[in-house]
Amino acid sequence: MVVVLTVICGASGLVLSYSNKATKAPREYQLLKYVQEPSIKAVLNSFDNDPIKDRIVVKIGKDEKGNPVEKNIFPAKKGDKVIGLAYSSAATGYHGRIDVMVGIDPTGKVTGISIMTHTETPGLGARIVEPAFTKQFKGFTLSPELNLSAKGGKIDGVSGATHSSEGVVEAVRKALELFPRVKKEVG
Amino acid sequence: MMSVVQEFTKGLWKEIPPFRLVLGLCPTLAVTTAGKNGVGMGLATTFVLVCSNILISLLRNIIPNKVRIAAFIVVIASFVVIVELVMQAYFYPLYKILGIFIPLIVVNCIILGRAEAFASKNSVLPSIADGLGMGFGFTISLTVLGSIREIIGNGTLFGTSVMWSSFEPFAIMLKPPGAFLCLGLILGLMNLISSRQKGH
Repeated sequence: MVVVLTVICGASGLVLSYSNKATKAPREYQLLKYVQEPSIKAVLNSFDNDPIKDRIVVKIGKDEKGNPVEKNIFPAKKGDKVIGLAYSSAATGYHGRIDVMVGIDPTGKVTGISIMTHTETPGLGARIVEPAFTKQFKGFTLSPELNLSAKGGKIDGVSGATHSSEGVVEAVRKALELFPRVKKEVG
Repeated sequence: MMSVVQEFTKGLWKEIPPFRLVLGLCPTLAVTTAGKNGVGMGLATTFVLVCSNILISLLRNIIPNKVRIAAFIVVIASFVVIVELVMQAYFYPLYKILGIFIPLIVVNCIILGRAEAFASKNSVLPSIADGLGMGFGFTISLTVLGSIREIIGNGTLFGTSVMWSSFEPFAIMLKPPGAFLCLGLILGLMNLISSRQKGH
């Protein structure tokens, strides 16, 4: 009785670990495709490859426990030429983490940003997802101009939602700060 | 040979799972907001049902009677996880819609019911026929229910518009009460047909 049950459970475990391994790559691909592809499409212009299929995993430093932190970089190509890179960046808003997909062209200029997830106040901070706010970032490089107008920059924040707007600016700045390293890794 | 055909066809009308045996109602009521969901859920269940029927029928003389339910559940749960992984890998949007109801196939009474009542007492071939018949019966039921709810509740069938343009959808059909209404009406209709058949 015990033997039979043990054998059945063992066999089941083997089969499951095998199918887990076999479906790992396509599962990851689908997850990225349906969760991140809309954002990637929104921030990069006129590419003809599949940025998710061509994604490059770059190690960017280590966390507190010493494990390497990895990041998915999505390259946009036209022919064989890389015309832009997209990757996610995060910063703290008013209520919590704001995840932003940032598209950057090879010269380090922002081609577009798209807010992926956030938990800001509906009607106030949540308005950071509106194109009226996000499209302002287009064309900026890492310069003092990339800041809220209240702080001497050229980005108009969402009124009544300074912290949320700042969070987005910070996320974009972080992405741009990372750009030289990412560019070196991608080549 | 005759009996194999019979085992297959009984699942399609005489013992069609949700309508005749009234088993597996949880996914039947919950996911049938559109025809497509019904097909997806039905096929996933059919796969698990056929595979578990085959394996349990093969193992029926090895599994001790005392632990049979535990053994059946392990077998069924393994296949459900496989289905879940495959759906996640290749049918992600459908996986998102069906959500929690895929893992819940494990506790679908139809599957354990067929394992206990049929596969554990019969050889492989009839068990496959039984699993396929019951599975297709379940798929057809879910598809019909889903399609009716989709047509009335949203004016579309499998995503394409089928009603006239001024048609105002009855949103209640997409909500839980709509599922009960629709299921009840289908049950009534099937009983009517059966009693007519007996009468003649």
